[in-house]
Amino acid sequence: MHRILLTKTRRDLRRRLPQFAAVAVTVMVGVVLFISSYEAYQNLRASYDRTYARLHFADVTATGGDPRQVAAAARHMSGVSAVSSRTQGDLPLRIGGDKLLGRVVGLPAGAQPAVDRVDVTSGRYLDPGDPTGVLVESHAAKTFALSPGDRLRAFDGSAWRTVTVRGIVDSAEYLWPARSRQDSLDDPHSFAVIFAPEATARSLAGPGATSQTLVRFTDDARGSATTKRAADLRKAGAVDVTPRSEQASVATLKEDLTGFQQLGLTFPLLFLAAAAVAAYVLITRLVLSERKVIATFLAAGAPRRLVVRHYLSHGTLAGTAGAVAGLVLGTLSTDAVTRAYTSALKVPDTVIEHRWPVAVAGLVFGLLVGLAGGIAPALAASREAPAEAMRGDGGTLKPPGPWSRTVARAHGLPVVARLTLRELTRSRRRTLATMTGTVLSLVLVLASVGMITSMRSLVSVQYGTVQQEDATITADIHASGLESSLRKVPGVARVEPVTTVAVIVSAHGRSYGTSLTGYRQDTVMHGFLTPGGGTTNLPARGVLAGRAIASRLDVRVGDTVTVASPGGVSRQARLAGLLDEPIGTSVYATDATTHALTGAGVNSYQLRFDRSLPEHARDDARATISTMHGVVAYTDAKALQSQFDKYLGLFWLFAGAMLVLGAILALTVIYVTMTVNVAERTGELATLRAAGVPLRRIAGILATENLTATLLAVPVGLVAGAAAAWEALESFSSDMFHMELTLDWGTLASAVVAVLAASLLSQIPAIRMVRGLDIARVVRERAQ
Amino acid sequence: MADVRAFRVPAPRGGVRLRGVTKTYGTGDARLNALDGVDLDIEPGELVVVLGPSGSGKTTLLNVIGGIECPDGGELTVAGTTLTGRAPRELVAFRRDRVGFVFQFFNLVPTLTARENVEVIVELTGRGQRAEVPGLLEQVGLADRMDHFPAQLSGGQQQRVSIARALATDPDLLLADEPTGALDVATGKTVLNLLQEANRQGRGVLMVTHNASIASMAHRVITMRDGRVQSMERNAEPADAAAVSW
Repeated sequence: MHRILLTKTRRDLRRRLPQFAAVAVTVMVGVVLFISSYEAYQNLRASYDRTYARLHFADVTATGGDPRQVAAAARHMSGVSAVSSRTQGDLPLRIGGDKLLGRVVGLPAGAQPAVDRVDVTSGRYLDPGDPTGVLVESHAAKTFALSPGDRLRAFDGSAWRTVTVRGIVDSAEYLWPARSRQDSLDDPHSFAVIFAPEATARSLAGPGATSQTLVRFTDDARGSATTKRAADLRKAGAVDVTPRSEQASVATLKEDLTGFQQLGLTFPLLFLAAAAVAAYVLITRLVLSERKVIATFLAAGAPRRLVVRHYLSHGTLAGTAGAVAGLVLGTLSTDAVTRAYTSALKVPDTVIEHRWPVAVAGLVFGLLVGLAGGIAPALAASREAPAEAMRGDGGTLKPPGPWSRTVARAHGLPVVARLTLRELTRSRRRTLATMTGTVLSLVLVLASVGMITSMRSLVSVQYGTVQQEDATITADIHASGLESSLRKVPGVARVEPVTTVAVIVSAHGRSYGTSLTGYRQDTVMHGFLTPGGGTTNLPARGVLAGRAIASRLDVRVGDTVTVASPGGVSRQARLAGLLDEPIGTSVYATDATTHALTGAGVNSYQLRFDRSLPEHARDDARATISTMHGVVAYTDAKALQSQFDKYLGLFWLFAGAMLVLGAILALTVIYVTMTVNVAERTGELATLRAAGVPLRRIAGILATENLTATLLAVPVGLVAGAAAAWEALESFSSDMFHMELTLDWGTLASAVVAVLAASLLSQIPAIRMVRGLDIARVVRERAQ
Repeated sequence: MADVRAFRVPAPRGGVRLRGVTKTYGTGDARLNALDGVDLDIEPGELVVVLGPSGSGKTTLLNVIGGIECPDGGELTVAGTTLTGRAPRELVAFRRDRVGFVFQFFNLVPTLTARENVEVIVELTGRGQRAEVPGLLEQVGLADRMDHFPAQLSGGQQQRVSIARALATDPDLLLADEPTGALDVATGKTVLNLLQEANRQGRGVLMVTHNASIASMAHRVITMRDGRVQSMERNAEPADAAAVSW
């Protein structure tokens, strides 16, 4: 680049500093978002992987069958580095006054297992000489304030047995304390995991115990021949084979990582696109105002590529400056974001690395913004015909288009209104830029807010339409008269017996671990929503299942599936219908069918309180029920909903931030287009001022024009935003969650108000420009 | 073209009085006294041409009289309004009510038709009548071009629209800055004719130009140099605009 031209570029940037600064700031925000979220995403993945590696997390968990046979088959596979077997069972726990569902996991006493080790963060590991000593998973320990030496009780199927906490542990399996893929978002008070010596675990779990074979592969072999390995383990007797990626905690955290990844790529792209649009408008304006200068250069024999390079340099300098600032801020915030996240999720290991390819990508983004924004006007500048450009503004007055001619016939409209309507097509580039800014900001806002409103809707559907019970009482199956006792509790309006069994459903050589719940055929505790949007009832024969089961097992309605329960019972059932449930993929049948399939009888009760029952009375009822004979666990559906609301509260902060960022994005683009608008029309505006038109009238004209362009873009923005939100939700859809896009009017209105406010705010600098116009000078000059 | 004299009853207006008016640009070595103690009286209904070389202060004089620039010192009264020490808002009202501008480069809104370019001023200032706009355009000879956009008009036609625009608020004083500067001779004469017609309606007209030939149509010719009035000559028999040539 020639030194003089570089000096000119520098001075050009200085003369239009606020506008180029707006471009640079937008690039900066995009790069900060990219660096901090993408690096944080990579760091989180690395943090999880380090924990998984350190604790020898299983690559495959095989459930059922003879553990010795399954383990032997595993050891014969190539690439296996370690195999271990253990017992796992779900059982009620009593911690203080709370009765909840728990899980006991067997560990070899005295030494860590070869696979799925635990990290003792407090106290000590299991001791062979202390069979009643257990380890408590850290989330439960924190929820119930447990520490070594505390006692809790576990229900072994017939009696409560006291165990003593010897240590608090982190487990790779419970980095996110999910009970199953169906219950990945549990209330912390409703689920706890304890690790006990293998013999104790087997004894506590009783008949509900399942044997598990844990297999770990070498790094080289990990991830290959997965299907064949699963088939081999099944052949050896395993009823279900779960790869690590399907494990409930890993899968839940993966959903979270997906969100981060999206944040790290999609949102920055919106900002960078907005910056490119703003740069385009700005550089086009610069080129137009310098037509004569360009013509002089070209007439003097300057090569066209020099002109192209010169005008590209404006955008690339602004973009690169923003990218460098974004890189610094992004790199600094990566550490904070990663630490905040691993700390909030209590991930034992925190890996913070800065990857140079990400930094380079950030800088390249800035450069690309400048190139993308500048290339069209730079090429146009280089193609100027010198003679024509030297004639000045002779060519700038373009004949009116059909739109202008049509509006000209609308004599009934005030001239100002006609002016506004025609300005939309006077500079299509400017109007399109304003509209693009509006669309991009609406996409940003709706994609983020839509996620939250859809989650809120998910909770509302799950806990309002699907799960209609207020609480689930897990019962001691030997206790009698519990149903009638429950009915007598003040505030309880309705009670229904329910049978819930953990099952493995299989077909076509595939299996899926889930829960089978048996209700009365006329149950009012559960709503069965169909994929078509309607409802259905429990079939007299056969089962209903969440719709993800169809793809998981490659089955269709009417096919036969095999249902295996922990007791080793395996029966065939007809898939009578598919359900559309927001959370989890569960199986449902009548209590009679459930009994026929699993042999299990009523093991829990679901109840509803009077609708008018106040909160404190519900707590009293819970306390009463928890102390009743035969009640071994109490799960409050409302607590689960409150837990969701708590999570959503944090998400709203995120949404608020995105609303602000969306407004900033719109403001940047509209600010640039507005100032360019005023710059391109200084002659007209100064003439109006000279003729005695008050500033407020001119402000009104500009605001009307601007708001009209913004409003025209609103429908497009709303549709694009909804589409982006839908796309984002689809990426989260799995057998664990199925979210329908829900955008209420309030959300849409807020998003529109945000961009309109940004549009109005951008008036302020434009009006200042008009006020500051040197009327005397401007009216003497030809329009540039 | 319609007879402008029959359109309004001539009543002299738009008198100007300047006493010791100064206007300075820049500081230090770059300091320029654009107006250096100018004393000047323009009678109501007078057509005055201001001549002078570049940088003599003639445009500054016009801008100060028109209220788009404020003098640094001195006293200034235009069309009965004292402009000295006025707030910007008051100057806006003064321009709206008392003066009309005609510029060298027309400055029409390209997205408005000829008629709309005039109507927009009526609408935005609240002065004049929208119904009179076609009549004004007819006066300036654009009856058949009213619904044309600036891009569809020649330079002379555009300047005629800008004269109609200036007259739409019925100003006391018409200020024209090089109104023929961008036009050929024939078109320029048409524009001068319109300005003379406007003056014959009783309006004061102050025209700044490089073109000494135009001076013959003025009641009075003022020559400026270095920010001062160098000379002032009265034409006993102002020429008809049609007779002016250059």
